[in-house]
Amino acid sequence: MIQAGVIGVGQTKYDAKRRDVSMGGLVREAIDNAMLAADIEWDAIDAVILGKAPDMFEGVVMPELYLADAIGAVGKPVLRVHTAGSVGGSTGVIAATHVCSGQFKTVLTVTFEKQSESNATWALSPRYPYSPHINAGAGGYFAPFIREYIRRYDAPEHIGWKVAVKDRLNALKNPLAHLHIPGIDEKMVSDTPMLWEPLRYLESCPSSDGACAMVITSKDLVGSRDVAWIKGMAVRSEGTLSAGRDEVNPQAGIDCAKDIYDQAGITNPYKEIDCAEIYVPFSWYEPMWLENLGFCGLGEGWKLTDKDATAIDGEMPFNMSGGVMSSNPIGASGMIRFGEAALQVMGKANDHQVEDAKVAMGHAYGGAAQFFAMWIVSSSLD
Amino acid sequence: MSDQKDLLRAPFELAYNYKRSSGPLMSKFFNALAEQKILGTKSSTGKVYAPAAEFDPETHESLSDLVEVGPGGVIESFSWIEEPKHHHLIKNPFAFALIKLDGADTSMLHMVTECDEADLKIGSRVTANWSATIENRITDIKFFTLEK
Repeated sequence: MIQAGVIGVGQTKYDAKRRDVSMGGLVREAIDNAMLAADIEWDAIDAVILGKAPDMFEGVVMPELYLADAIGAVGKPVLRVHTAGSVGGSTGVIAATHVCSGQFKTVLTVTFEKQSESNATWALSPRYPYSPHINAGAGGYFAPFIREYIRRYDAPEHIGWKVAVKDRLNALKNPLAHLHIPGIDEKMVSDTPMLWEPLRYLESCPSSDGACAMVITSKDLVGSRDVAWIKGMAVRSEGTLSAGRDEVNPQAGIDCAKDIYDQAGITNPYKEIDCAEIYVPFSWYEPMWLENLGFCGLGEGWKLTDKDATAIDGEMPFNMSGGVMSSNPIGASGMIRFGEAALQVMGKANDHQVEDAKVAMGHAYGGAAQFFAMWIVSSSLD
Repeated sequence: MSDQKDLLRAPFELAYNYKRSSGPLMSKFFNALAEQKILGTKSSTGKVYAPAAEFDPETHESLSDLVEVGPGGVIESFSWIEEPKHHHLIKNPFAFALIKLDGADTSMLHMVTECDEADLKIGSRVTANWSATIENRITDIKFFTLEK
């Protein structure tokens, strides 16, 4: 298999409403930044892979064709990926797989959401016949899983507030982040309204416009560029309502993590991974994923969060960029995790850089916590 | 086989509101229509796209060099509508036509009317007629008519 590396990551400024750009202008902003970082021209791009969440969110069907000019796909192979909220991650995996196949030398991949073109929270809750109109949104769907986690492990309620504060303080070090809330503390979070019990307003991700792009190339074309080597990557899924499913600790997440650790030769992720960008759209998913991904045993995740292990200067930094809690252009959110992991091992994360980060993990999940995409990137090939 | 009356059907209306941000370049294009001007974009190769394009499909560059084109142009192809239906914008017989405006290298889709089908040919010269109501949209060009 061909070894592949990320040579350019490009992001937009994330905001509630990017009214200053068209949908095409938004994706192009990320692409321009990625190609500039990669020091590469259009002639070198062999294929373009676009990912985004449901077409209902912007009302554009087949966005890879609608945006063909903007993503530079005219005359090149193009593919669209959609795996719900995990799509940013799975799009990265699929783009890298194209390079690893040996059939494509350099691939441009871009993901986006322009939530201000509509209101994504409710786009998946139409009034179906024969059913009541629940109109729950993602937070309403995940709240019972979180309730069960809290019950199972007797976790104190301030854990959720703590994650909400930590990620937003990290966001203050990231000028691209949507939410910048100076002075945020646990009291501010716990004073905000209850949205989906037990989740409060500031324990939830924002609705954002934004795009993220990466240029991935094969080993022989990297040259003297900064590079994040892809050491392991995988996707896994499980059925929404499959019998025996544990929504709190999904088997697909466990299996996906084990797969990428095996590929990368990692036996103790807590010790061997320097930092991670993990998909945490609601505060409690930090301790839940700490456990699901094998960073600690069951019931131990909230204790790691409580002792600041996931802080930017902690033993296992999570979401140094501010994470999904601070910027959530849904379709791009997974790729931002993958791209931020790459920036860390390239030493290009600026003010939110983890010192001496050599091995980093990117993670995304979606649907009813049933779709997973993950990768491990490293500063060295060995 | 179940009796037909036992098979249920219920209405399912999927209605949802969207907004579109035109961005800086296409906003200029639509605003220019209000001043009865048609803008195209010129690429680094000299090719002029009209209506204006945000990105060049050939060089992939972002386009920003706006140039005025038309209001006259040449029909590149057309399809005649002898009996317009309720959803058509013109109630008299008309043609949907691809029109290459003067100064442009690409064609735009619009309508040609106030003529007979026999008057239209590929290569016929037409000119823009403007709507009395300005809405910053492509229908500010009401339709095209054959050049006198």
